[in-house]
Amino acid sequence: MVKSQQTFGQQLLRYGLYAILGVAALVYLMPLWVMLLTSLKDIEEIRSGTLFSLPGSLNFDAWSKAWSGACTGSTCEGIAPFFGNSFKIVIPAVAISTLIGALNGYVLSMWRFRGSELLFGAMLVGCFIPFQVILLPMARMLATFGLANTTTGLVAVHITYGIAFTTLFFRNFYVGLPKELIAAARLDGAGFFFIFRRIVLPLSTPIIVVCVIWQFTQIWNDFLFGVVFSGGDTQPVTVALNNLVNTSFGGKEYNVDMAAALMAALPTLVVYVLAGKYFVRGLTAGAVKG
Amino acid sequence: MANLTIDNVIKTYGQTEVLKGINIAIEKGEFLILVGPSGCGKSTLMNSIAGLEDVTGGRILIGDTDVTQAAPKDRDIAMVFQSYALYPNMSVRENIAFGLEIRKVPKPEREAEVQRVASLLQIEHLLDRKPGQLSGGQRQRVAMGRALARRPKLYLFDEPLSNLDAKLRVEMRTEIKKLHQRLGTTIVYVTHDQIEAMTLADRIAVMRAGELLQLGSPQEIYDDPANQFVAGFMGSPAMNFVPCRLVAGDAGLGVEITDGNGNPAWLPVPNPERLSGHAGQEVVLGIRPEMITDPVPHKAEDPLVRQVPMKVLVTEPTGADTMLVTEINGVELNCRINPGYSTPVGETVPLMFDMSKAVFFDPNSEARIDRA
Repeated sequence: MVKSQQTFGQQLLRYGLYAILGVAALVYLMPLWVMLLTSLKDIEEIRSGTLFSLPGSLNFDAWSKAWSGACTGSTCEGIAPFFGNSFKIVIPAVAISTLIGALNGYVLSMWRFRGSELLFGAMLVGCFIPFQVILLPMARMLATFGLANTTTGLVAVHITYGIAFTTLFFRNFYVGLPKELIAAARLDGAGFFFIFRRIVLPLSTPIIVVCVIWQFTQIWNDFLFGVVFSGGDTQPVTVALNNLVNTSFGGKEYNVDMAAALMAALPTLVVYVLAGKYFVRGLTAGAVKG
Repeated sequence: MANLTIDNVIKTYGQTEVLKGINIAIEKGEFLILVGPSGCGKSTLMNSIAGLEDVTGGRILIGDTDVTQAAPKDRDIAMVFQSYALYPNMSVRENIAFGLEIRKVPKPEREAEVQRVASLLQIEHLLDRKPGQLSGGQRQRVAMGRALARRPKLYLFDEPLSNLDAKLRVEMRTEIKKLHQRLGTTIVYVTHDQIEAMTLADRIAVMRAGELLQLGSPQEIYDDPANQFVAGFMGSPAMNFVPCRLVAGDAGLGVEITDGNGNPAWLPVPNPERLSGHAGQEVVLGIRPEMITDPVPHKAEDPLVRQVPMKVLVTEPTGADTMLVTEINGVELNCRINPGYSTPVGETVPLMFDMSKAVFFDPNSEARIDRA
């Protein structure tokens, strides 16, 4: 292998670049580090030490309290029950919005009809509507259908809001698939859903992963819809976290707050770590032919 | 009985007419090639036959059944695509069996059919691979295998060889011809490669701008083109077109030419009785390069053969022949010369014009004026 000859100046530039990147990474990691440290300290250490001082011993009391004992408003069961609520919202909402997005994308790319491009454009507008705009009308809708303060209602809201994005993802991915595949399958005798199930879906893994990561992150991290449309016992974990931080008897328990926040952030991290390599690949899929 | 009848088929997109009333009938076992430049409507016609596009007017019959409104799957047609369109997530075996599976053919029969097709195309060793693991030529075979497996009434080939390299293309061309002769299948084949058209077809349909210009056997199309476009499209190098004047000379009707040195000459015409009405008019003479050669002694006595001294402008040796470019009446003229014949560039050498297959066109309408 030929090693490229670099001048001293080029080497200096390269190390300078690494230094800048290192600093940037530090800036981003710092809050996480502080959160982790704080969650492992007890109240005494927090009060006496600095932000960056290490805890005297590994102490997971704050984590167990945040999980099962901290008070969130009127109840004191930690964030555990709300974790369950969040999963009950996220799993069906992600699954259904992804499936609908896939079907929409399939139709809008492979079975174009008069006005289908216009319809796609109209759906895209959905990506740009701010959450706040639809709060009131959506509340009226949910009340009309008897879904106010229910998990089902919140799932429905997230599906509706997610379809614009999932449709965009799938449509743009499917546009890159050769049209002849569909033509060949039609001549072979396959129908609309058969082609979707046997030919299109098996090719969709990268974009399904993208869609799931995106939707999971959006819905898990959502606070506004959660706080507006959920009841006391259907609140997602983000709302519970907010309540936990704002509920204090006596002194503020920063260690418990931090532990709870870290726990609430974990599922999205796990999803990203497990499927992250598909994410980048899927986002750029179709950008380059081949 | 015709296997496929295309009856006055019209297709319009908005104001644009893509197919302007096409009429073709194909016998069972016939190999028809649709040929024409890009945008001539040949692929649209193919898709209309397959049912992938609706036609605006006219009828399409397969056998005796009117399939104009039928869905693709009900037409009993198989198609081989330019991009092969193999299902990437399925093995070769599953690709070939897919159509049979949909038609609920029992598994043992499916297996037997896959084996038959695979041995026919010599792809048995590839059956468990995915399309991504195959070379271009292998994919091409699998795509044909998928079409053959269902034994449909009609096969459509949409430029199937254009993604292959030159050598493989010639091989697969022969392969397709053999397959057709062996199986006696009815094939409609789209290409823009006129050599493919000449070598494979029983009949060729030459199209331009949504119109069928001529339908005939390869030799008819080559020797007796309906107009200047067809004449120029088929054959490589293309037919020479020389503007000239028809005159009645000592030996009958002929055309006047002037060579690159400014010397006049006179060439006879093969069917003077068909051209007598055009005497004295400007016409376009069409003569193929292989009809202008080095002097061949045994042809010298032929009344339709003339020897004319011509100035050599360019020579292009191809090995088997040398293509020589000269000039008459102000246009370049391609000639096909024996490589052994000495033709130094810039010199004037005698060339032999064989006018027996010369054709004549109207300079304005480009229509043939000497057709029987």
